[in-house]
Amino acid sequence: MRIELSALSLSLSQWRLLPAFCLILVFTLIGAASLAALLFYGEADRWGSYLSSTYLWRVVRFSLWQALLSSVLSIGFAIPIASALMRRQFFGRDTLFQLFAVSMVVPSIVAILGIVIVYGRSGWINSWIGVEVPLYGLLGILLAHLFFNLPLAVRLLVQAHGLIPQAQWRLALQLGFSRWQAFKTIEWHYIRKALPGAFVLIFMLCFSSFAVVLSLGGGPKSSTLEVAIYQALRFDFDVSKASVLSLLQVLICSSVALLIYRFSLPLKQDNSVLTLTSYRLKDSFWSRLFDYGAIAFALLLIIPPFIAILEPVYSKVFWQTLQDKKMWMAVGVSLKIAIPAAILSVTLGIGFVFVARYAYFRPQLVWLAKLVEHLGSSILMIPGLVIATGLFLIFRQIGWGFDQGYWIVVWVNGMMALPFVLRALVPVFYQQEKRYRMLYASLGIWGWPRFLLEWPVVRGSISQAFGYALLLCLGDMGVIALFGSSGLMSLPLYLFQLIGSYRLEQGSSVAVVLVILCVLLFVLSTRIIGGVSRVKH
Amino acid sequence: MLNIDLTYSWASFSAHYQVNITKGLTTLLGGSGEGKSTLLQLVGGFIEGDGKLTFEDDNLQGMPPYNRPITTLFQSDNLFPQLTVWQNIAIGLHPSGKLTDKERSTVEWALSKTQLKEQLDKFPDMLSGGQAQRVALARALVRKRPILLLDEPFSALDPNLREEMLLLVADLTHDLGLTTLLISHHPHEAKLAGGNIMLIKSGKVQVHGDVSLLEEYDSIPALAGYLGPNKLSVELG
Repeated sequence: MRIELSALSLSLSQWRLLPAFCLILVFTLIGAASLAALLFYGEADRWGSYLSSTYLWRVVRFSLWQALLSSVLSIGFAIPIASALMRRQFFGRDTLFQLFAVSMVVPSIVAILGIVIVYGRSGWINSWIGVEVPLYGLLGILLAHLFFNLPLAVRLLVQAHGLIPQAQWRLALQLGFSRWQAFKTIEWHYIRKALPGAFVLIFMLCFSSFAVVLSLGGGPKSSTLEVAIYQALRFDFDVSKASVLSLLQVLICSSVALLIYRFSLPLKQDNSVLTLTSYRLKDSFWSRLFDYGAIAFALLLIIPPFIAILEPVYSKVFWQTLQDKKMWMAVGVSLKIAIPAAILSVTLGIGFVFVARYAYFRPQLVWLAKLVEHLGSSILMIPGLVIATGLFLIFRQIGWGFDQGYWIVVWVNGMMALPFVLRALVPVFYQQEKRYRMLYASLGIWGWPRFLLEWPVVRGSISQAFGYALLLCLGDMGVIALFGSSGLMSLPLYLFQLIGSYRLEQGSSVAVVLVILCVLLFVLSTRIIGGVSRVKH
Repeated sequence: MLNIDLTYSWASFSAHYQVNITKGLTTLLGGSGEGKSTLLQLVGGFIEGDGKLTFEDDNLQGMPPYNRPITTLFQSDNLFPQLTVWQNIAIGLHPSGKLTDKERSTVEWALSKTQLKEQLDKFPDMLSGGQAQRVALARALVRKRPILLLDEPFSALDPNLREEMLLLVADLTHDLGLTTLLISHHPHEAKLAGGNIMLIKSGKVQVHGDVSLLEEYDSIPALAGYLGPNKLSVELG
């Protein structure tokens, strides 16, 4: 009798999650429909001719090559930098970490502009030391990818560093390990377990990198699949070719991910009772030189592009740009895209997390929680441009063209931000479920009333999620490039066109406006949604 | 002779240790939070206090832990889980773990002293708690430092195993002429191991002398206070 009752209550409470299930269903259906559209609307009989063209394989080879180089270089440099940052205490260390965080979320097109100003033909390097950097091509792509991904790699490795039990440092201190011995015996053991994951993430990001390759690739010689898809749709109107390229892109991305995860080592925290204190290991001139050298290298790479963008604030062009009607229209378009997309993303995220946390703490449903979590982050493997292409094919079938692109841009941007939204939401929502689900069940509180009760505790992470989604959507230079027009010109797209026509000074004024907009909206959303005082968990 | 005259303050805790310790085994007794571990950490060099610390007239104060004539065995985490038993001991001789033939035989000697000959290729997670602490002890032996500090390294072991380890430490201290400081929560262990006892209360050395003092607790108020009215821990041990 008791068993029957619990089964009944289970199915009842599952019904309560129906709205959340519907959100997940819509998300999945749209994603699947777009992939299916790629399969069906592409003319299969022409695939053979694409697959045998040398152009295609050159593009594939270059995509893989630049992604491999970018990720190996990012991680290769990140290892000594992360190690040095964990080892040394110095003035400005926290600021440097914050700068790293900023360089990961700064809109790609803004960073590209900074890189062009520093390394470009009439750039700083050329005018100071007279060396012309061959920026357009592989070198430029690598520089930009390092700018974005070196900080990311450092962050991932620093996390792995945090898993090293403090007791190991204490032992190293007692045994008199040198810098190198401590690295070899202790650090490497933990860092190497984080490498496959870091490699996959960065490889994916670089493999499907769009704005960087489009702006700095410098021609068909260094084009990637992602850019080729864009060109096929935008310039050749060749849907068939775009669908072949898109499928190839998904195929390569998912195989790389599967391959690497198969060989990755599990990263786990060893049991240690010791709390954190920092020990001063044996030091030497050379190890100091090495560590500060690594940190200086990171600074040299990251800081100049930031300064470059801010430079024109004092010039006349900046004030002229502020009076430019075209720019303010672009601001309007950016807001019109980013705000609905962020709302969409957070709504989807809450739906996902409601179902996932419900399932996670019920042994017979754990698989569902895992499934939902994977589904939410699967979008990392399917580039936005590919989804957008599929949706465009469906839209075209029902008679809509590029003009209705706005809806696709909003939807795809919302989808793309979902993994990051989930990362912000999951811990707090899971924690609430873990601690209070029995209490809520015994009081019979569910749905909206429960959400209201949880609001003071979860609003902080919802505001973070919303803020990140806003940043990502404001900075998007992927989908918008496909559907952008004079009527749908967002700030990043406008900036891209300015860079393309070498109006760098005006460009950096627009970049400053974009950055200010990002900061402003992020702060506003965290203040308004997050509230001023947060309840302690 | 290890001469200690050190002060140390942290939050609301302040300690002043004044004691001269002779060769042999000394068991540190005292309630938790009274400052036994703090004393060992000060001597080991893991925290920095003020005052004087000398061993055989050499100044140890301000010296980094790896240069002090000391090996400390902690309550846990004495081994690197990523290294084998052999490697864990070998790094005591040289941090790179690369040894000369003579050093190899030193490791062999330590392995036989601690009965670990069968385990040398195993990783720490394949060992029992007693074996793991014996590996740590073996490393302490190969380092050949005249002072050995033991911060309850055997507290997680079963009573019979704990006694076995204690006797091993007492023997090694005697055979190698070490100055050993051992923290214990069990007065009867001090009786078992012999040597001296030291009672620490509120960051001060209250009682210091031969282990036989435990028998005369009636005349020593501090000791009587620590042992409690029924003295079960001494009698039953």
